[in-house]
Amino acid sequence: METMTCEEFELRGLDADRADANPVEAAAAAQHAQICARCGGLLESWREVKSDLRLLREATQLDSATARVEMRLKQELRTRREARVPRRTVVIASWALAAAAVLAASVGWVRTKMMTIAPVSVAPFSAQMSGANTNDSNADGSETLLAADYDGGEFTQLPGSLPSEFGQNSILQVRIQRGALERFGLPVDPDQATEWVDVDFLVGEDGQPQAVRLHQDTLLAGMTQ
Amino acid sequence: MKIPDEKQDVLLKRAVRGDEQAFLALYQKHQPALYRYALRMTGSPWAGEEIVQEVFLLLIREPQKYEAARGELGAFLFGVARNRVMKYLERTPRELSLDVLNTDGSAWREPQDPLTPMMIAEKRERIEQVREAVLELSAEFREAVVLCELEEMSYEEAAQACACPVGTIRSRLHRGRALLLAKLELLRDAPRRASAGAK
Repeated sequence: METMTCEEFELRGLDADRADANPVEAAAAAQHAQICARCGGLLESWREVKSDLRLLREATQLDSATARVEMRLKQELRTRREARVPRRTVVIASWALAAAAVLAASVGWVRTKMMTIAPVSVAPFSAQMSGANTNDSNADGSETLLAADYDGGEFTQLPGSLPSEFGQNSILQVRIQRGALERFGLPVDPDQATEWVDVDFLVGEDGQPQAVRLHQDTLLAGMTQ
Repeated sequence: MKIPDEKQDVLLKRAVRGDEQAFLALYQKHQPALYRYALRMTGSPWAGEEIVQEVFLLLIREPQKYEAARGELGAFLFGVARNRVMKYLERTPRELSLDVLNTDGSAWREPQDPLTPMMIAEKRERIEQVREAVLELSAEFREAVVLCELEEMSYEEAAQACACPVGTIRSRLHRGRALLLAKLELLRDAPRRASAGAK
């Protein structure tokens, strides 16, 4: 076994008692301390100090910060959490608002588009009477002097139907024989009953036709015959 | 409180989202060691608590400063605590009050072993003397003594904590021990054979 010099002992000899000490060095240090009075004294003094350090360590081993620190940190955590929740709510609300605006704009655009494509208005049934004023809304719907070939760009309300808001109706385009219009209460010239005509029906929410409109070309064809 | 057996980075993520239980689990795991280190380095329970508080406030406010890829959370927290301790020592280099250690009872616990009052008093005096001697060391030597002798870290662990080579820690500890021996001889008014080491 190699022995240590006093210089080496001063550098590494006091590590001999450490848990992670090199066993060879520890043995050499112990051997040197036995033969050298000065280094032996140094080791003895250090062991005494180390004992005191152990006392200090044991006295403070269970020390920890007081509850005040924990309370302060918990308070900070809560403050930050509470601040985070409204921020998240604002973000969600902003997105919801934007989505609602887009939806409203879309609905508005679709409605406007429909109005532009089919500017439909329904003339009162009485307006189709010969020589009658189209603004005469007091006319009785039971009138029978009707012209099935009427087409002034407006719908002719069918007898017995009640006018409703356009937004709830839909338009049905069909090609039928003129005589079929009789079923809807419209008078038809028997000579033209077999003619095929293009007709727009204004169909109500209940699926029942409320008004009718003949296409202009059909009308012209009917008039020339 | 039952500490969930989860990885610390998972606990940290939960804590950052505001999970109090997760935060407390981390706090209770790391706080005692950080506090003891700060207390032993500063000698002041008040400063120790302030430092611990600052460390965990940083974790709450700027969790992104901790990168799991660069090391464990404990090492990160210790590094932050060490910076705070060094700043504190720079601000108050020689204002280490020894009296404050025993005023609130947090830094001193009465020994529980069955000793006579005389023995208790003697033990307490010895502890006070060694505490005073440690606090009189310069910060770098004190840190080596605190980490290697009081916290019982290995040289490698202490070197990692101080971000310096193992040789530096060995050298600081060697010098710190010698100074400690000399100071204790002076305090106890009993010169011994070890004084040569403090030269």
